[in-house]
Amino acid sequence: MPALRDVSLTFERGTLTLVMGPSGSGKTTLLSMLGCLLSPDEGTVFVDGAAVNQLTEPEKTTIRQKKISFVFQAFRLFHSLTALDNVAVGFEIRDPGEPRRMEMARELLLQFGLGDKLHQEPNELSPGEKQRVAIARALAGNPPILLADEPTASLDAKAGKNICEILRNQVNEQGRTVVVVSHDPRWREFADRTITLCDGQVEQEAKNQ
Amino acid sequence: MKLAWQNIIHDRARFSVTVLGVCFAVFLMIFQGSLLAGFLRAASRLIDASDSDIWIASRGVQAFEFGTVLDSRVREMAAGIPGVVETGRVCMAFAVYRTPNGTQQVVALVGADPNVGKRFPVPNMTESAGGTSPEAVLYDVSDRKQMDLTSLPAEVEINRHRASIEREIEGYGAFLGVPFLFTSYRNATRYMGFGPQDAMYVLLRVSNGYQVSDVQQNLRQRLPEVDVLTQSEFAHKSRMYWTMKTGAGGAILTAAVLAFLIGLVVVSQTIYANTMENIEEYATLKALGASQTFVARIVLSQALICGVLGSILGLVAAVPSIGYAKSLIPWIYAPWWLPAVMVVPSLLMCALASIASVSSALTVEPGRVFRA
Repeated sequence: MPALRDVSLTFERGTLTLVMGPSGSGKTTLLSMLGCLLSPDEGTVFVDGAAVNQLTEPEKTTIRQKKISFVFQAFRLFHSLTALDNVAVGFEIRDPGEPRRMEMARELLLQFGLGDKLHQEPNELSPGEKQRVAIARALAGNPPILLADEPTASLDAKAGKNICEILRNQVNEQGRTVVVVSHDPRWREFADRTITLCDGQVEQEAKNQ
Repeated sequence: MKLAWQNIIHDRARFSVTVLGVCFAVFLMIFQGSLLAGFLRAASRLIDASDSDIWIASRGVQAFEFGTVLDSRVREMAAGIPGVVETGRVCMAFAVYRTPNGTQQVVALVGADPNVGKRFPVPNMTESAGGTSPEAVLYDVSDRKQMDLTSLPAEVEINRHRASIEREIEGYGAFLGVPFLFTSYRNATRYMGFGPQDAMYVLLRVSNGYQVSDVQQNLRQRLPEVDVLTQSEFAHKSRMYWTMKTGAGGAILTAAVLAFLIGLVVVSQTIYANTMENIEEYATLKALGASQTFVARIVLSQALICGVLGSILGLVAAVPSIGYAKSLIPWIYAPWWLPAVMVVPSLLMCALASIASVSSALTVEPGRVFRA
C-alpha cells in the first residue's frame, strides 16, 4: 500500500502549516518528500517553483543546503560538540565561506535565550534547550523553508509552547515557510493551516482563523 | 574540522590506543628503514670508500667479502690500457686473531694500497700522519670490546704472525659479526699468505680525458676472464647480494610491510567503529545539506588526525632508539630524511584505513533521520 496517494498540496511562502494524522498516515513520508529526502513514484515535488524529483542526489543536497532545513523530534545534535559548535556546523554546511560564523551562531543562541549555554554539550542541556539549539542550527545560513518533525514531542508543556512561539516568530518576522508534523494539538493555535492525513490521503484541510 | 576532532577524541581510550598503534607502526617502519639503509650502506661501504673508477675482480665475485686471488698479469695488463692513470690493490680474507691475553677469534682482514682512496681506512705511509707506522693495524671503535685490548698500541697475532694494533677508527664497524682489521696491502698479504704480486681486487683510476665506460669496455675485451665493473656497479652488486640473495633485505622489508599493515588495521578498526557509532550524525549532516565531500572530509580528517599524532610520537620514539641501537648494531643508519619520508606512508596508511568508513558514511540514507 502506498504511503501517500492522490496528495496534491501547496505550502505558501511565509506560512506555518500543521500536518496531523495518526501513525502510518504518511506524515513523515510527506515531510521526507518536501525535504528532497524521498522521491515520489508518481507526481512532482516543486520547491520554490523548481521540480526536484528528477534531480540527482548532489543537486538535491544543494537544494537542502540552500533552501531547506530540518528540526527533529530527537533533536539530533552532535553529541561531542558544544551548543555553539553545533550551530556553527550549520553555517559550515550552508555558508562555508562565512568568516563570522561563530559570531552569528552566538547571536542565534542569544536570540533563543541560550547565552549561558553556549559552551555546554548536549548532554548538559534540558530537552527544551536542546530543541532550541537544534532550531538555531536549522536556521544557520537563513534557509527559507523549515520542516519540523514532532518538534515538541519530547518536551514538557512550557518548553513545548516556547518552541511553538519560536517557530511562529520565524514565520511572522522572517517570512519563512514552516511545515510542522505533529500530534500535538497546541500547534493549531500557531498554525495558519492544518492538514489532516489518514491512510496516505488528505482527509481534511482547514485554514485556521 | 572541529566535528572530526571532537568525535575522534570523545572516546579517549580508543583514541589513545589508535594513536599508539600508529606510533608503533611508524616507529617500526623508521627502525626497519634504518636497518635497511644501514645494511645497504654497509654492504658496499668499502667499495664506496675508494676513489677508484673501476674494480677488477675474479669472475663471478658476488660481493666484496668473497674475492679470490687474481692472476698477477691482470694488474700489469690493466695498467697498460689507455686512460688508466693509476692502479691500486685491495684484498680481504678472514683470519684468526689472537690477543695478548690469549683469546682468539675470527676477524675480517682488509689490506689496501695507500692510493685506493682518501676515505679508505688504511694506515698512512707518511710519518706526519699521527705517528702511525705503515705496517700498523687499525680497527673500528665499535669493536673495541671484541678486540679485547686494554691499551694501544698492542702486540697481537694475526694468523700466527705478530701484528701491532695502533689506532682506532670510526665508521667501519663489523658487518658480518666479525670485526674488520685494516692494514697495508703488503702487510695483509703477509698475514694471508699471499705472494707479494698477488691481487684480489685491482682498482683503477681513469684519466679525465677518457670515458670510464670506454676504458671498461677496453678492459673487458683484453681481460675476458675477469669481471670489470665500475665502482657503482660493484657497489650495487654487493648490496644486491647481501640484501636479496641472503634474504636479509627481504626480512627487513617484510617487517616494515608488516608494520604498515598493523597500523592500517588499527586505524581502520578505530575509524570504522567511530563512524558506525556516529552514523546517525552523518545522516543528520546529509539531511541538513552536507555534501558528500563534506562528509568524506570528516572521516578522512579523523584518520589523518590519528596519523599525524601517531607519526609525531613514532618519530620522537624512533630517533633516540636508533641512537641507542647503534651501540648494538654499528652499521644502522638513519639519514635525516628517512623519518620525514616515513611520515608519507604512514599518512597514506591512515587514508587507506578510512576507505571503508568513508564509504559507510557516504552511503547512509539521510531519510533515516525521521526514524525514531
